[in-house]
Amino acid sequence: MRTEDLLVRIAADPPQPPLRPGRMLAQTAAAMAGCCLLFLAVMGTRDGLGTALSQPLVAVKSLLPLLVCLACLPAALHGARPEARPARPWVPLALAGAAGALWLASYALRPPGARFADVSVPAVAECLGFILALAALPLSLAIALLRRGAPTRPRAAGALAGLAVAAGVAAGYSLYCTQDNPLFYLTWYGAAIGLAAAVGALAGDRWLRW
Amino acid sequence: MNDREREWAALLRAANAGDGRAYARFLAAVTPVLRGIVRSRARGHSPDAHEDIVQDVLIAIHTKRHTWDQTAPLLPWLYAVTRYKVIDAFRRQRIAVHLPIEDFQESLAADMQDATAARDSAALLARLDPRSAGIVRAIGLDGDSAAEVGQRLAMSEGAVRVAMHRAMARLGRIARGEKG
Repeated sequence: MRTEDLLVRIAADPPQPPLRPGRMLAQTAAAMAGCCLLFLAVMGTRDGLGTALSQPLVAVKSLLPLLVCLACLPAALHGARPEARPARPWVPLALAGAAGALWLASYALRPPGARFADVSVPAVAECLGFILALAALPLSLAIALLRRGAPTRPRAAGALAGLAVAAGVAAGYSLYCTQDNPLFYLTWYGAAIGLAAAVGALAGDRWLRW
Repeated sequence: MNDREREWAALLRAANAGDGRAYARFLAAVTPVLRGIVRSRARGHSPDAHEDIVQDVLIAIHTKRHTWDQTAPLLPWLYAVTRYKVIDAFRRQRIAVHLPIEDFQESLAADMQDATAARDSAALLARLDPRSAGIVRAIGLDGDSAAEVGQRLAMSEGAVRVAMHRAMARLGRIARGEKG
């Protein structure tokens, strides 16, 4: 086709409604909140949630993934604009550093027998399975919304969306979860979030190219 | 540069609000600049390949024009879209000639319905010797079997397959910019 013909043809197309990253953010956050609320309504929160959360190590289990989500989700959806520069990842890196430090401190302070006593196949499967299941719908929504955008780094955009969504639903899941050993929740929440980021990267590779 | 920013932004803003004439003017103004960018980035590709990349970029600008934030400068957006599509076009041209021979017959032959792809392959084939080019065209583009081609050229079926395989390997080297 001659370029002049192409220009005539596309100039006649009707315009499309503008991309609204803010609204995409709100929709994804609403999907995450909806999934977590439904889950907590069916499964219930843990017994004595209020008193548990007053212990710092239990509060960190909810707070850390929540902060990761708050730091990453806006960046993930603003990546829908092609000219978006990758934000400096200081906050996520600082949070990852804090998680690493807490992991090492817990390892050092606990007697050897108590470090990994609560690791069992059902416990790990419950943790990974619930977080990934809760992330599935909001992550699909985020990818679908990003498809209307034009991310110039599709794999990174998908990975960041997976990471942010999984961190957010992990914060919701933590209100049900009774594993209060930082060695357990840092490792397995981290693994679930990492898996979701990997799934997001694959989805980005597959669906976010344009 | 500032004038261009202001003028083009005003045109695309009007276009996104539904003004088809402003959109046509925007595209007419952008196209020669895109040609210049592509030409400077794609030395070694034929002019036809340049024009295909220009069209890819134009289509991307068209399908993604709603992703420009109208309160932000236009040129960074335009540059980001162009850069993405130019890189993408180079990558795809390389992958297209890296296909193994078995895939070539089915999938690439189907692609040849597309006039632009046919033009790409014509430019590549022109750099082969006539006999190899004839074999690739017959098997890869026209979908003839190796046996039919062999009969026509008085070659055994196996010899045709070997010639085809060598020609594809040479096309791959040419497309990667090495000496054929």
